[in-house]
Amino acid sequence: MKRLAILMPAFDEGERLTRTLAELAGVSKSCGISVSITVILVDDASDTPVDFALAAKTLHDVHLVFARHVLNLGQGAALETARRLALSLDPSFDAFVTMDADGQHAPADVLALADSIFQGADIALGDRFGGASNTPASRRLLLHLARAFERWTTGLRLSDAHNGLRGFSRRAMEQMRLRQNRMAHATEITHWVARHLSSRGTAPKLTVVEVPVSIRYTEASLAKGQRATGALAILADLVRAFFFGDQREAR
Amino acid sequence: MKAEMTPAAIALLLLLAALLVHDATARGKNKRLLVVEIAVFALGGTLIVFPEIARRLAHLVGIGRGVDFVLYPLVIWLVRESLLSRQRRYEDDRRMTELVRALAIRNATHRVAWESTNVARESDHLADLGERLRDGRYS
Repeated sequence: MKRLAILMPAFDEGERLTRTLAELAGVSKSCGISVSITVILVDDASDTPVDFALAAKTLHDVHLVFARHVLNLGQGAALETARRLALSLDPSFDAFVTMDADGQHAPADVLALADSIFQGADIALGDRFGGASNTPASRRLLLHLARAFERWTTGLRLSDAHNGLRGFSRRAMEQMRLRQNRMAHATEITHWVARHLSSRGTAPKLTVVEVPVSIRYTEASLAKGQRATGALAILADLVRAFFFGDQREAR
Repeated sequence: MKAEMTPAAIALLLLLAALLVHDATARGKNKRLLVVEIAVFALGGTLIVFPEIARRLAHLVGIGRGVDFVLYPLVIWLVRESLLSRQRRYEDDRRMTELVRALAIRNATHRVAWESTNVARESDHLADLGERLRDGRYS
């Protein structure tokens, strides 16, 4: 039986989180005993704390690991906490998929990404333009700009640069340490992927695939999500890390 | 050298005096810092009252105005101080992140689902979760 860890940062999702978990529980039933799913849920100091008992009950036969930040640190930091929690379990998981808690990501897509990893890929990136996503025009423009930025800085040709749905193999997950606490972690991941596409020294080359996914935009998720000004904040974070980050660590 | 008590000089001196009185009464026990402050203010006050000092020094090293002679090093020092404090804040953020994360991982709880009957069990010990998942007792 394959073991899948779903890394899920959550901040003030309330009802949306419960719905997301319920959907996951439903999908888990359909894939039967072939995959054992564990949700690693990290509450990034939500104003209304995530109810552990409710989450566990909602998840039915999906395992749950839950941690809570006492201070709000940002999505990148919550993902990193989830990553370390997932790796601290022994034996570890066969695949790791990051998923948003707000219902934008479809559980079926999570399984599709996991499947790519089970098939041998090290990194599986969700591609919302390949799937049936109702991406708003303004968001589309912003994402294409981000994609151009990634291509310019890394040389990596991705269809969708900043998709929260990503799958990782165990060896990829062990190597990828996130240092960007806030939204710049998306860029950090892309850069990390670009650096590991060719073998460097003893580190083995990692294989990357893109998997079409369907992102469901709702009014609530758009209101809470990234604004265009967020791009400036991301740039500021990247510049800060460039100047103040420990250069030895960054490699 | 003649004292030049312009309205601006008087205003600046009053400001220095006010700050000094405020700090002397409000700071409390830290006498050493107050001594440093008095010394720096005395130097500044002298330069305000006798601008000719700064003027001559400036001309000596090829700077046009006496004020610039004081301002240039001050600006350089402030920029450096600002960069250093940004770096310190960045490092403090990193430390705090690790602290919050360590606390979160330490206090993490988990629930292993018992698939066949949907009975949920809670445990405080993360370490045995992997083991349970491995030996299949709960899956």
